[in-house]
Amino acid sequence: MFEVRFHGRGGQGAVMAAQTLAEAAVNEGNYAVAFPFFGAERRGAPVLAFTRIDEKKIYSKTQVYAPDCVVVLDDSLLDTIDVVSGLKPNGTVIINSKEKPDDIDLGVSVRTASVNATSIALEILKAPITNTAILGAFAKATGIIRIESLEASIKQKFGEKLGEKVGERNAFAARTAYEKTIIGTSRSVKKLEAKKQWLPKYQDYPIGAALIEGKTEAGLIGPGSFIENKVSGWATYRPLRDKEKCTMCLLCWFYCPEGTIIRISDRGDLMTNYDYCKGCGVCANECPVDAIKMVRARA
Amino acid sequence: MKKVITGDHAVAIGAKLCRVDVVPAYPITPQTLIIEHIADFVNDGELDTKFLTMESEHSVMSAAAAASAAGARVFTATSSQGLAFMHEMLYATAPLRLPVVMANASRTLGGPPGIWCEYNDSMGARDSGWLQLYVEDNQEALDMIIQSFRIAEDKRVLLPVMPCLDGFVLTHTVEPVEIPTQEEVDSFLGPYEPDIILDPARPAMIGTFMPAEYIMELRRQTVAAFDSAKDVIREVNSEFSKKFGRDYGGLVDTYRMDDAKVALITMGTVTSTSREVVDDLRQKGEKVGIIKLRFFRPFPSEDLRKLVSNLDALGVFDRSISYHGGGPVYNEVRSALFGMKMPVINHFAGLGGRDVTEDQIFKMFELTSRAAKGEKVKEVNWHNTRGETV
Repeated sequence: MFEVRFHGRGGQGAVMAAQTLAEAAVNEGNYAVAFPFFGAERRGAPVLAFTRIDEKKIYSKTQVYAPDCVVVLDDSLLDTIDVVSGLKPNGTVIINSKEKPDDIDLGVSVRTASVNATSIALEILKAPITNTAILGAFAKATGIIRIESLEASIKQKFGEKLGEKVGERNAFAARTAYEKTIIGTSRSVKKLEAKKQWLPKYQDYPIGAALIEGKTEAGLIGPGSFIENKVSGWATYRPLRDKEKCTMCLLCWFYCPEGTIIRISDRGDLMTNYDYCKGCGVCANECPVDAIKMVRARA
Repeated sequence: MKKVITGDHAVAIGAKLCRVDVVPAYPITPQTLIIEHIADFVNDGELDTKFLTMESEHSVMSAAAAASAAGARVFTATSSQGLAFMHEMLYATAPLRLPVVMANASRTLGGPPGIWCEYNDSMGARDSGWLQLYVEDNQEALDMIIQSFRIAEDKRVLLPVMPCLDGFVLTHTVEPVEIPTQEEVDSFLGPYEPDIILDPARPAMIGTFMPAEYIMELRRQTVAAFDSAKDVIREVNSEFSKKFGRDYGGLVDTYRMDDAKVALITMGTVTSTSREVVDDLRQKGEKVGIIKLRFFRPFPSEDLRKLVSNLDALGVFDRSISYHGGGPVYNEVRSALFGMKMPVINHFAGLGGRDVTEDQIFKMFELTSRAAKGEKVKEVNWHNTRGETV
């Protein structure tokens, strides 16, 4: 059995990637399953998806804990998530990154493949949806699936849902990534620290899970604890405001769903707290004088 | 034809193949894909059905019962808080003998709010008069929609049926599913032909006020329908198996039970994972097996008594709690096995959607096997629960 874990962000299509891979594997005569794991769905939030491939029927209905391959659709996830967790010693990591594999620090030295899937997606699909491109890299790096099978499944699956043209463009994105994928070995400089999580025993649980402001070894809990939950890494784009054009109408301040636009009343000015800006672009969309432009957060 | 699809998609295709007349719908995760797929079928002209977007689940079940009383074949789907919200109308549907089929995507019933798999939503409806079944994969999800209509509409039954599929673990998982052809399903499931319907041309009364002189007999009559349902479920299973080549065993299914000394009663997708665990343990020479509880209502007491008669100990998996101690399945099983001497050990796992891993299932077998050898083992065990030891 070959087990794959996808790390992505809501909206990048990790789930669709896992499903498309399963479909391609079944079309090659194998058995395959694919399933997602996410919190309350939000665009930009980290999501997991899994694919299992085997020659015979797969009965296991649990998550994948010891993957043969980890696929990372967004290298900003490397800062906050230990993507190599549980990876088999001879496993492979596939990363959407502009870096070469040998320059990517995963904290362990493992077989690694990289491709700049975001650039490929923006160029071919005109959107930072990297799932099909990264599948091309998967085919190249693992040899578990033929690129032709993937192209066929992508055309079929995306075509069925979004039209023939979109299907073809996505298949082309996969093929382009397949050709551009570089295989190497990751660096092992950074120290991997298991992310601390507050996990009390039931006896220590606050009654009814009612929480007041508190501090634990794993960080803040209760009201206000989300201050530690910086989401700047979610953003593909971020807003830039042209102060000359801005009329201080405050529509952006009013519409920002995250409350990241702050009024500086004594100067009659605005500032954006990029730590909590997910780059949704609502401010730019609402601005009546086009004073806000969305620019790539990470080139 | 084989397709790689989600459990929700499989359920929707099942409903389409049953040529449902009316689908009152209201969205709720993780069921929403079901009604979205059905809406697509209707929109694309693949399904001739009255698709009603309702303002709440309570209205969904009201519309479902009313449409069924008017002679329509009715399908809908819900989950968790949605099932709770229609609770009142569930109780109206069964004693009026309206054979509605409603898929439930098993999801924890808040609070605290959550979206993952737990059976405390459907277990709360166990006394509403609905037949209730739990599936372990997407193929069974599709097949059981078809079987559910046959069972529900059988003149000896005429009761609503609630097939439950594990939220996310099946609803959002893709796997290969064999899709029967329309002709095959048509020859297995004919049109719904009730004797009495609400029709102005032939006036009838259904669900009117009933004083105490009448209700007791109505309750007794519904119990009789439950008794008949057991035979009908077995018949439908064997007919389905002959036609489609997939045998699910009827009320219960078994895996490697022939010479088993220790068994685990499982439900839903945990059954599937347990098959791998049993294969491993069998390779080590342990005589273990699985009893897959498919129907929780009607409860297969007679089948269970027969199946466990040669066991040294029995484990019971529960994915929801009845707050006084054991789980609903455990309490039901112990009641069914009353007078039999073997230890019966309760295993809680997967509440709130926590992943039920093979390790946990190994532990369930280990504890049950220890009880079989006469060791003292706790009756109720909480697996992978912080603050508990197993």
